[in-house]
Amino acid sequence: MKPILLQGHERSITQIKYNREGDLLFSVAKDTVVNVWYSVNGERLGTYSGHTGAVWCVDVDWDTKSVLTGSADNTCRLWDCETGKMLGQLKTSSAVRTCGFDFSGNIIMFSTDKQMGYQCYLNFFDLRDPSQMEDNNPYMKVPCSESKITSAVWGPLGEFIVAGHENGEINQFSAKSGEIMKKVKEHTKQINDIQSSIDLTMVITASKDNSAKLFDSTTLDHIKTFKTERPVNSAAISPIMDHVVMGGGQEAMEVTTTSTRIGKFEARFFHAAFEEEFGRVKGHFGPINCVAFHPDGKSYSSGGEDGYVRIHYFDPQYFEFEFEV
Amino acid sequence: MVAICVLTSIYVHSSQVVNGAMCNTGWCVVLHGVVALRLRICAGIQKVAGPSPYLHVFQERCIMADPVPNFFFLYYYFLDNLELLEDILRERPQEADGIDSVIVVDNVPQVGPERLEKLKNVIHKIFSKFGKITNDYYPEFDGKTKGYIFLEYASPANALEAVKNADGYKLDKQHTFRVNVFTDFDKYITISDEWETPEKQPFKDFGNVRHWLEDSDCRDQYSVIFESGERTGIYANDVKEPITVEERARWTETYVRWSPKGTYLATFHQRGIALWGGEKFKQIQRFSHQGVQLIDFSPCERYLVTFSPLMDTKDDPQAIIIWDVLTGQKKRGFHCESSAHWPIFKWSQDGKFFARMTQDTLSIYETPSMGLLDKKSLKITGIKDFSWSPGDNIIAFWVPEDKDIPARVTLMQLPSRQEIRVRNLFNVIDCKLHWQKNGDYLCVKVDRTPKGTQGVVTNFEIFRMREKQVPVDVVEMKEGIIAFAWEPNGSKFAVLHGESPRINVSFYHVKNNGKIELIKMFDKQQANSIFWSPQGQFLVLAGLRSMNGALAFVDTSDCTMMNIAEHYMASDVEWDPTGRYVVTSVSWWSHKVDNAFWLWTFQGRLLQKNNKDHFCQLLWRPRPPTLLTTEQIKMIKKDLKKYSKIFEQKDRLSQSKASKELVDKRRSMLEDYHKYREESQRIYQEQKPLRLELRGGVDTDELDSNIDDWEEETIEFFVTEEIIPLGE
Repeated sequence: MKPILLQGHERSITQIKYNREGDLLFSVAKDTVVNVWYSVNGERLGTYSGHTGAVWCVDVDWDTKSVLTGSADNTCRLWDCETGKMLGQLKTSSAVRTCGFDFSGNIIMFSTDKQMGYQCYLNFFDLRDPSQMEDNNPYMKVPCSESKITSAVWGPLGEFIVAGHENGEINQFSAKSGEIMKKVKEHTKQINDIQSSIDLTMVITASKDNSAKLFDSTTLDHIKTFKTERPVNSAAISPIMDHVVMGGGQEAMEVTTTSTRIGKFEARFFHAAFEEEFGRVKGHFGPINCVAFHPDGKSYSSGGEDGYVRIHYFDPQYFEFEFEV
Repeated sequence: MVAICVLTSIYVHSSQVVNGAMCNTGWCVVLHGVVALRLRICAGIQKVAGPSPYLHVFQERCIMADPVPNFFFLYYYFLDNLELLEDILRERPQEADGIDSVIVVDNVPQVGPERLEKLKNVIHKIFSKFGKITNDYYPEFDGKTKGYIFLEYASPANALEAVKNADGYKLDKQHTFRVNVFTDFDKYITISDEWETPEKQPFKDFGNVRHWLEDSDCRDQYSVIFESGERTGIYANDVKEPITVEERARWTETYVRWSPKGTYLATFHQRGIALWGGEKFKQIQRFSHQGVQLIDFSPCERYLVTFSPLMDTKDDPQAIIIWDVLTGQKKRGFHCESSAHWPIFKWSQDGKFFARMTQDTLSIYETPSMGLLDKKSLKITGIKDFSWSPGDNIIAFWVPEDKDIPARVTLMQLPSRQEIRVRNLFNVIDCKLHWQKNGDYLCVKVDRTPKGTQGVVTNFEIFRMREKQVPVDVVEMKEGIIAFAWEPNGSKFAVLHGESPRINVSFYHVKNNGKIELIKMFDKQQANSIFWSPQGQFLVLAGLRSMNGALAFVDTSDCTMMNIAEHYMASDVEWDPTGRYVVTSVSWWSHKVDNAFWLWTFQGRLLQKNNKDHFCQLLWRPRPPTLLTTEQIKMIKKDLKKYSKIFEQKDRLSQSKASKELVDKRRSMLEDYHKYREESQRIYQEQKPLRLELRGGVDTDELDSNIDDWEEETIEFFVTEEIIPLGE
């Protein structure tokens, strides 16, 4: 089916996210705009304006009441989803790289970049205590001196964070004590993205080392590896099939010197159990920076370096296709 | 007289030991009580020549009167045994009198007194090259010289130099000098009469060095360097996927080379070359050559030529070293003065000769002596290029025009140095020599500017080597030539010509009557290289690198394009030695992304895409020439149908086995995965109360599990409406 093209950003897309029901799609980009779209037809519902720098991350809580965004303008902002009103702003000393609501929607975390002499920190705020937001006083602040966090998601039940680092490490940080509960290093290069399965039991990591890997979120046991020839910028797990989708391509820096053919800017579908590729979707004319499955598993979206978000509804063949077993 | 005779007999003895030569020893009887003991094995030792042997001693003394310095050791014998010599002992020479400076030259022509002066002149001319000759002695018998002479130099160094350079000197057909230092007699005298069996060298067993040829499925092997040179692997080629034979980290520091028959794998190291082989790729030989960069095997695999830009010194040539592969010994070192193209030394097809070109000279060396063939280089003024026929010991070389003398292509037979064909050419800019793999044909690609024109015209001068007088035919090409290649084992050749983007490929056939026929031309090709199958008939036209890796698979028997494909950015094309498979690859050395090698059938069907991290190089392991006779090959070709049935069945079996294996593998993977998922689902379900608590009692496990809480909201989307009137 013909994809729906969302043209609401002037610069490369950094992250996209569906809300829990999947009726809305949030997109952030390097152009400071935060957009929200109807996922069904791609109509833009509105924007959350206020950021003055590239927006790196976005998250929405489970009941679609609040939206959290982090930006290179050294702020992490909380918005009212419906009205677009800014509810709070947390100032930091460096860019906010990754942010998220926990399972209950009561606790938020965000990480900051190691930048201009500042260290990378993982911050935790409890929204139930308004003073924490007002005074910019997180209940916990975990320094990550070794290698900065490049992507992070909440584990099940809000007990811990699974964070990917610049050096390819994956750490589990306790949301209560901040200590590292588990540590694995399966990737050799930077983790570009971590996303969890719909039930939060698994996470998939996308790495610059040309592969994506599936882990158990609690044990951090390595389950599967999906290999490509290009850096993987983002990967997502299908909520209904044993499938994963990966997006990536030649690094943006090197793209100008290579033709689109060589860049391989395709979304690639792998079978989660067999680690075998079974399909590709073309369309972007730059690397894909982020992919996301609709919670019903019947469509997926991708955001690219080219500034477009594309919503793809799967054809019936997609659901019929099966590997010979 | 006697003294000399003794010397001679000793010398004979020694030469017997060294060279296995025999000569007359009739005169050695004189001192039978002394030296002859050691000479028992010499023939004729019991013949007594005269009644008063000692008299001869004195005679000889007189002949050699002054200064008689060199043969002093004889006196020791006399001292021990002959009291008669008291009177001459007073003139006993001193040890330091310079015996080291004396050489003995054997195989000198035997001449009478009338020609002695002439002989002396000749000898003087040859041997004074190595230093000043201070004394000479030509023993005579019956008015003729005896065929050996003694020469004394001013210094021992001269004598050594003379031995080094004049030993084996060919004076004429009958006389080849054998030159030895006089003091060597000491050495040879002490050689025991008893045969001593040489100490047995422990035999190093490397297993069957042709083990890979015994593969039941006739798989060919190839070497792969990947991870930017960190790892090297040997794989057996299989239709399904490569089978790892050996894989090692840091096996080589730069690249690897196979020997021409595939026996050895050579790896490069800062300190030299290592050869590996046998079933487990054990180290077989090492050659220490600091900073070695380039190597070349002789076609027979017996010798290895290595080049290093370091280490060369004036006295000790070490830039290029020729090694004996079997013993590991250094055979000879050479300087490398000119920056010529590698290989600097080109080998004849049988490994008997190797040749090198320098300014105006062509030097041909022979094995195993590593010396110049006939002690002389060929002087060829202006020689530009040369090459050996791959089929015979024939060298082709060319010299450009020089004033009124036309350019010349010469074919020379070796070792006779007979010119079997000379072809004069005019207005030549450049020539390239292309031999057909069997040496049946030679194509000289001649770039010319015909008189009165500006442009360059290319002629292919085709020499038919197998016919009397080597007839030559010419094909003229008006367009620029991009590539030329002979069909191996055949009489066809392919040419890429034209200007990009209008590049054409033409196929020619050299008929038996010498007519060269254009079989077919394809225009507008994306190609810059031609790769013939080693068996002939099939070829791949490739547009490597800048041409994006376009590939065309051609069957030249009926000139059809079997397939047109692409391996984007391919940098190399390698046929397997049997001509069944082709590999195209993108090397990390030339392109930094998508490093991989793809396996194709000869028809151009893609079988495998092998992505290897930082893949650098793939080289097929060559096969030695077949042991089958032409009749046997004919028989096999005749019965091909019979064999193909067997193989087809085998293929089907392995295919069904493969798909079964794949399905089995998938099944077990799926089972494992589902098992894991069930377990995590179980835990997930257990945690349901905790989840409900965290979300205020709202069940969000399923998309519609809290459907009762949903608020229905109707959103109207604005749809533009446009009315298009249809007709009137």
